[in-house]
Amino acid sequence: MTLVEFPAMALAAVVCWAAGSLLQIPAKNSRIFGSLSWLFMLGGTLVLAWFLASYWIALERPPLRTLGETRLWYATLIPVVGFLVEYRYKIGWLKYYCMGLATVFLGINYLHPDVFEKALMPALQSPWFVPHVVVYLVGYVLLAASAVSGWHNVIQNFRGKRSEKGESMSHYLALLGFVLLTFGLIFGALWAKEAWGHYWTWDPKETWAFISWLAYLGYLHLVARKTDPRKLQWYLGLSFFVLLVCWFGVNYLPSAQNSVHTYSG
Amino acid sequence: MEQQVESMSGSNNTGAATAGFKDAALFTLVAILAGLGIEILTGGGGIDMPGWPFNLVFLVVFGSLIFAVGLLYREHPLISWLGGIPLGLSLIVGLALLSLVGGVLPQDKFPPGSMVAMLRLNGMFSSWPFALVTLLFLFNLGLALVWKTIPFRAANLQFMLFHGGFWIALSCGLLGATQLERLVVPLYEGKASDVAYNRQTEEAIHLPFSIYLKDFQIEQYAPKFALYDPANDRLVEPKSKLVPEIGKGVKVEWPGLGSVTVLDYLPSALPGAHGTPVPGDNGVAFARVRIDENGKVSERWISSGGPRLKPLFVPMGSYFIVMADGAPKAFRSEVMLTGAGGEKRMETLEVNKPVDMQGWKLYQAGYDESAGRWSTLSLVEAVRDPWLPAVYVGFFMIMAGNVLFFWKGVKKMEAA
Repeated sequence: MTLVEFPAMALAAVVCWAAGSLLQIPAKNSRIFGSLSWLFMLGGTLVLAWFLASYWIALERPPLRTLGETRLWYATLIPVVGFLVEYRYKIGWLKYYCMGLATVFLGINYLHPDVFEKALMPALQSPWFVPHVVVYLVGYVLLAASAVSGWHNVIQNFRGKRSEKGESMSHYLALLGFVLLTFGLIFGALWAKEAWGHYWTWDPKETWAFISWLAYLGYLHLVARKTDPRKLQWYLGLSFFVLLVCWFGVNYLPSAQNSVHTYSG
Repeated sequence: MEQQVESMSGSNNTGAATAGFKDAALFTLVAILAGLGIEILTGGGGIDMPGWPFNLVFLVVFGSLIFAVGLLYREHPLISWLGGIPLGLSLIVGLALLSLVGGVLPQDKFPPGSMVAMLRLNGMFSSWPFALVTLLFLFNLGLALVWKTIPFRAANLQFMLFHGGFWIALSCGLLGATQLERLVVPLYEGKASDVAYNRQTEEAIHLPFSIYLKDFQIEQYAPKFALYDPANDRLVEPKSKLVPEIGKGVKVEWPGLGSVTVLDYLPSALPGAHGTPVPGDNGVAFARVRIDENGKVSERWISSGGPRLKPLFVPMGSYFIVMADGAPKAFRSEVMLTGAGGEKRMETLEVNKPVDMQGWKLYQAGYDESAGRWSTLSLVEAVRDPWLPAVYVGFFMIMAGNVLFFWKGVKKMEAA
């Protein structure tokens, strides 16, 4: 499958998520509607997973090179985090934010279509390519979910409906996200040594990866100091903006001119 | 926010000091301002890190100092504060802010007299403020590490691995930078050389071994069709959004303009007597195409061209069908390495596949891009970094600590 089929597949996924979400209303009183709703929501994600797999086959390389390709992965994986959180914590609201965020990413890809491009420059042809990008992807997905739940908790606090369960969820999502961020950073360094001759050259993308890592490192130390979790929800919500700069904002900064990471997208 | 400090040593009984985040933030700010002050006084010269063997001496002295201070003055309020979380956090914020400046401003891109250059904001990662904050950070991290390590408790293993790994990677990476050598070795096909050049100083250095370039090869992706619009100087996207790779039987359509079908494709050929290309080595790519301009059909040869051959393109309406060379897929040098003792070894250098030779790592770096795949020049990078093993030990400790952290996190999450 190529990008010609993308709009139809993206639309199918969004329609599935929307139908599944709407079916949650009658699902409160009926098990059948509940199952049907989940069938739709999971179906939406499966459609995207199927698209990604067949796109991978058509490209003859992992679809992990351009920003558009990484957005496809986020759109596929973020709702999965929402579903898992509901399964594990019985917290239902996160999945709607996650599906909403995924829809935004699909929308960006629809408005700025990638060019179908098989070529992979020699430096990217490395066994480190997939682990480095996938670990970062999953890390970003978890931290996006933690930021979303951080904001939700902030709003709930304002409304006087504090939920310690919700705060603990955003904390654990951030913790797992940090673990993956650390692996991504070190995998990147080990790869850079093999491909470019040195593990760290303060390339703008590296610098921003370091800044975002420090931001979450700071979070963990604030937790160790037993900071009020209500304040930390703000911190988690805002930290994600640093990650966004690292993910794609860095391409627009004055420092980006000499980066080895300014791939298309 | 003055509050009672709970030392990072946690359950280990250390004296509580009365200094909080405010003092720590102020202290970090003073360190940054002092660093900027030094830069202004030295005209933005940056810090000269000690070279061999002084970098090792510095590391040993600094490490011993942390050990001694940490063990002898563990109860002292000031020392307890110096190794505490509030200072650690302030220094993390300080490092993040300095990195932010270094991550926004282009590094090494300002005229010498400018304000940015005077403060060395264009060379942030070798500047005094960055060095001072890092030094204090290593001191803070080191103290916390000593307190968690002595007395040894298995429960602190994750802390020791993560923090110890970070301490080792950061200190050895920065102190080892003065001994890092990255040299370019230009090699020509059929010739041997041991001369390498420093990129910055252009100083020539003799390597302890010589490299003979037997062959340099480039593999390219298949060439692609493109429709060039001369009026707007741009390429027109085909209907399928697919940049089509040329191969026999491939058909591409441009809506409203027409279509092109490949009848024959020769990856390497030379022009023949009657305009028909003849397959042969060291040629360029040719394709015979059928052009259908909404019913008006013609057949022509097109070619990407090469250094000595003009490209062939065909008009379609007011546009041109061109054949664009494929991007490089792989480039590699077949070399013979000869050591000082005369021992010989055949190796293939390729991007992402460096080769070790007598303490050096050899990388395929580049070639003569104007000659493309006809290049007889191969640029090899020779890198020597004696501190790399230490930095890697740090990396692997961080990763081991990370695995334990993940493990503990998942267990806690399940309990939550």
